[in-house]
Amino acid sequence: MSRYPHLLSPLRVGPLTLKNRVVFSAHLTNYAEHGKPSEQHAAYYAARAAGGAGLIITEEHGTHVTDWPYEKLIHGFDPGVIPGYRRITDAVHAHGVPILAQLNHNGGQASSMFSRLPVWAPSPIADPLFREVPKALELHEIRDVVDGYALVAEHCVAGGFDGVELQCSHSSLVRGFLSPATNVRTDAYGGVLENRARLLLEIVAAVRSVLGPARALGVRLCGDELIEGGTTIEEAVAVARMVDATAQVDYINTSIGVATATLYMIEASMQVPPGYAMFIPSAIREAVSIPVIGVGRFKDPVQADRAIAAGQADLIGVVRGQIADPDFVRKARSGSAQDIRTCLSCNQECVGRMGLNRWLGCIENPRTGREAVVLPMPTRRAQRVLVVGGGPAGLQAAVTATERGHRVTLLEKADRLGGQVPVAASVPSRAEFLDITRNLAAAAHRVGVDVKLQHEATADEITADGPDAVILATGAVPARPWWAGDLAQVVDVRDVLEGRAAPRGRVLIVDELGFHQATSVAELLADRGCFVEVATPGMVVGQDLGITLDLETWNVRADAKGITQLTDVVPMSATEGITLTLQHHPTGADLTRTVDWVVCAVQQRADDALWQALKGSPFPVHRVGDCVAPRRAHAAVIEGHRVAVAL
Amino acid sequence: MLTESFTIGSRTAPSRVLFGPHETNLGSDRALSDRHVAYYRERAVGGCGVVVVETASVHDSDWPYERAPLAADCGPGWTAIVEACSPALVLASLGHTGGQGSSAYSQQPLWAPSAVADAVSRELPMVMEDTEIAVLTAGFGTAARLAMASGCAGVEIEAGDRSVLRQFLSGITNQRGDDYGTDKARLLREVIAAAREAVGDGLVALRLSCDELAPWAGVTPEHALELVPTLDVDLLTVVRAGPYAGSAYRPDAHAPEGFNKALCASVKAVARCPVVLQGSVVSAAFASSALAEGACDLVEMTRAQIAEPALLQKLRTGAAPRPCVLCNQGCRVRDARNPIVSCIGEPRSGHELSDALPVDGGSGEVLVVGGGPAGLECARVLALQGFSVEIREATEVLGGAVLDAALGAGRERLRSLVAWLAAECDRLGVKVVLGHEVVAAELSSYSGRVVLATGSNARDTGWVDARDALRGTLPDGPVLVHDPVGGPVGVSVAEKLAADGRDVRIVSQDPIVGTLLSLTGDLADCNTRLQQLGVPRELKSLLRRVSGGSALLEDVWTGAQRAVPAAVVVDCGPRLPREELYETGTLRAGDCVAPRTILEAVLEGRRVALELGA
Repeated sequence: MSRYPHLLSPLRVGPLTLKNRVVFSAHLTNYAEHGKPSEQHAAYYAARAAGGAGLIITEEHGTHVTDWPYEKLIHGFDPGVIPGYRRITDAVHAHGVPILAQLNHNGGQASSMFSRLPVWAPSPIADPLFREVPKALELHEIRDVVDGYALVAEHCVAGGFDGVELQCSHSSLVRGFLSPATNVRTDAYGGVLENRARLLLEIVAAVRSVLGPARALGVRLCGDELIEGGTTIEEAVAVARMVDATAQVDYINTSIGVATATLYMIEASMQVPPGYAMFIPSAIREAVSIPVIGVGRFKDPVQADRAIAAGQADLIGVVRGQIADPDFVRKARSGSAQDIRTCLSCNQECVGRMGLNRWLGCIENPRTGREAVVLPMPTRRAQRVLVVGGGPAGLQAAVTATERGHRVTLLEKADRLGGQVPVAASVPSRAEFLDITRNLAAAAHRVGVDVKLQHEATADEITADGPDAVILATGAVPARPWWAGDLAQVVDVRDVLEGRAAPRGRVLIVDELGFHQATSVAELLADRGCFVEVATPGMVVGQDLGITLDLETWNVRADAKGITQLTDVVPMSATEGITLTLQHHPTGADLTRTVDWVVCAVQQRADDALWQALKGSPFPVHRVGDCVAPRRAHAAVIEGHRVAVAL
Repeated sequence: MLTESFTIGSRTAPSRVLFGPHETNLGSDRALSDRHVAYYRERAVGGCGVVVVETASVHDSDWPYERAPLAADCGPGWTAIVEACSPALVLASLGHTGGQGSSAYSQQPLWAPSAVADAVSRELPMVMEDTEIAVLTAGFGTAARLAMASGCAGVEIEAGDRSVLRQFLSGITNQRGDDYGTDKARLLREVIAAAREAVGDGLVALRLSCDELAPWAGVTPEHALELVPTLDVDLLTVVRAGPYAGSAYRPDAHAPEGFNKALCASVKAVARCPVVLQGSVVSAAFASSALAEGACDLVEMTRAQIAEPALLQKLRTGAAPRPCVLCNQGCRVRDARNPIVSCIGEPRSGHELSDALPVDGGSGEVLVVGGGPAGLECARVLALQGFSVEIREATEVLGGAVLDAALGAGRERLRSLVAWLAAECDRLGVKVVLGHEVVAAELSSYSGRVVLATGSNARDTGWVDARDALRGTLPDGPVLVHDPVGGPVGVSVAEKLAADGRDVRIVSQDPIVGTLLSLTGDLADCNTRLQQLGVPRELKSLLRRVSGGSALLEDVWTGAQRAVPAAVVVDCGPRLPREELYETGTLRAGDCVAPRTILEAVLEGRRVALELGA
């Protein structure tokens, strides 16, 4: 008997029988090339199929030439996509897993930047993100939209998909019609809910007639748009009933939020509790007769199994969980769920890269986004490899090198592995960040890396040892800003988090990094009763939290904790007291702050002493991560992996 | 002088105008594409003297934007461009953006002289050691050899806006203790020498930042005057750019035309080679006088030739070139979304392979309703194709919404584009009826084809429409500029009112003002200007209610409410299409389809005209 009897039980969805309840739900990847699916698409989905996913739903396929909101959209209306579709479906079917294509027209949630055509929407109401006034659809254009869905459904059939899902949430013309916030039409497609749902039902009928009975049709609905005047759960349930009543739809997928207004709740970071959106499938499931998919930060099989057991949903969308570990289901099934490379919900390389038009990756899985790039064969001649430093870079290097057949010893000077990660994760709202090195440390143990803690390596020792290769991952150390002098009450973020300093009273945090360092320590100190102000030379405090969708929630918490913010300022001097002089660089005006402590979130210095001592040694010496240049954790992981693969 | 040929070293350029290197996003992966070839060909056919191709990275450690060319992949593209552009001289721009690059595409650490994070990306680079310096220098040599083998007249070494060579020259980014730190120009000299050796009798040109606008540690004009005479180059383009200089390299119309002229003249006085004036030179008049004054030997007119590919040809025949208005709206494409280089006035730029040209052979009458940019461009292209065209415009003047937009601070140049369109229409015999509001009955009795370009209406907010605010006078009292768009309008209204001495503040739902101006390069600048003018920015705030001389604002995230003084609210929000005359199937263009920008108006006006001519 499986430990996850609900999650791993089969389910019939229309004409399909799924082996388990785990869905790799639709999400953007930016893997498309020239509007067509790429080899990378096929390799990416195939890896999740091989890992045992119950159902895969691809990213969206554009249904009409008027829809091109971002560069790397798959233009499903172009018949040239069919060979790429076939490549994907063949690769996935090889593992016995069904795959659906998601069809969409983004409607007004787009710009004309790429299409050079007016954006189409129910009403001329500009989207909050793109801010381009759309053209209100005329009736003949609505017919074109419906025809576009049917055409792409034909392409999907020709390309071997097992069915399609209609995207009617997140970012979608259908969503735009359903939502009273964006549909103010007075014709048969606006007004009462029956009218606003008319386009959806017309598309359902048209697509079903293309698919026939042997293929599945799903509809993804938004349960709460979280915008003023938008769709709420009552209307979502009513629409789900209408969809169910057509008897043409095989399942309902759910979502929360609007991609261009409340994205931070769609792809919630670790700051939002897991399972936060399950009120939606719960409510819809009570109203319909077909299976319902629930989503929202499902990170482990226990949690997903419980949600199904509790009747919240029939199927669970695990997207980021399978981005991080394609073998999520296989490991759960084989009783080794503890080996799952758990997603952190950090959003740095998945969500964070999407908005920047970059290919989807993963902070802790160096292969995500590179599945189509074949690695060289593992070595036949095992080398004796010495890794110095047990942070993410050193751990990843050690794990990859061991997996590829080398004998690896890892020396870590501290009494625990993880480098700076446990420090960063010591702030309550960032606790899940610890998973990155927890997963790596577990992997190191599993594959058999010889880990020696509290062992500070010296150049002499390494030279005397004469390994076949050395990988230095010695990290970074805090660097004191020039204006800080030797004032004892000017300290680094790491001094606070590592317990060397305990600021009290009024604290000014100087943020030159724009990421979690300053905002995390601000919260920590505010929680301890400090009066905290965060100052930055940038235009926004914690600017890059916007990329990971943490900015909104941090601001709400910061406000509740009395944290204030100061932008566009550069520290000029600090004197005993402490009085800090800051220059407001737009105006050149000086301002001063008298505080008890100053905490610096500033660039660190690479700890490259061993590199300087060892480079030019008779054995190859590599360096990875912060000891090359102090950056974020992803750089450490990919460099550790890359160097180990190249040994 | 501008149109005369000019000899540079062993080569002769057919005119004294240069088309400078710039991001286009036309590339195919990291190679130059057919679209590049077509793009440069148009400018060369139009009479450009020197075409400097989009900068190619000399080594794969540099991948600054997704479509950034890589020299090793550029050989066939350079050859095709050289063949397409004769007799213009084609120079291959070679560079490495160092710490100003991006690790997003290469997934590699950035290279830089010292561990100084870029002010914009905040990413810390790795310090280049002797190995990397040798690889970089060799990379310039290898790339230069490939450029010459591909037929280029020479290379231009990039030490301007984004360049590891400039980072080595600057005390801000070069804090090394070795020879490359004590002699900050050493690497540049070594790279020039490597290029010189590689090009044989070809040209080595240099694009050099002569002012980083950071005098406390950066490259200053004084440094540049010492450095320039020591450099063995055949052509020098003088620019200003630095780590904190943001948009200074190619600013929008907030900077005056030819802002580098004095700097360029001073450098020319010490240079041992011909010197190129760069920096917002868009008119033949300015360029010619700069040459006549001896401030330079050639003039870079990049944006002028994006707007008017046939610039020199038109100057030679006495025709009026389409003006560049320095808006940066369509041509500044250093943006993660990879927009294609284009132009608000010449939307075919960047789309030379897909967008048709007007063809003669149209006949019959066409009535264009509305004389804004959409209607004017439509009428112009219809007339070019042989149609008999009449514009009926409700107001007493041609130009539409652009005339109002041009009243905003820093937006004055916009007027010259509609003035050019109107003049072209006049030259081509378009009949213009002003002060004539077309009614539906008139259209039903009209025998020819009709195109609607009737523009937009303000939303019904009860507040003062931005266009009225720009045109007229506002009631007394504190003004609140409501800018939910974050484009150029809200900012320019606030700046104009502040300049007029009004008590004004601006409210935005965003954490900064002018979010959409990241594309034009004015984002940081406009926030700076507003703060310098003392215009309070009410950020992260929604305007909830206005009454009794104050406005109720609400924080978008926390919901906290506060009141600010506001006797008058100016609405800069999105507008509604004016579609009273529309019936299904009527041709239409621009804001009356959906109120957007001048770019879409011109594009659609032209597209409708070409459809009628097809």
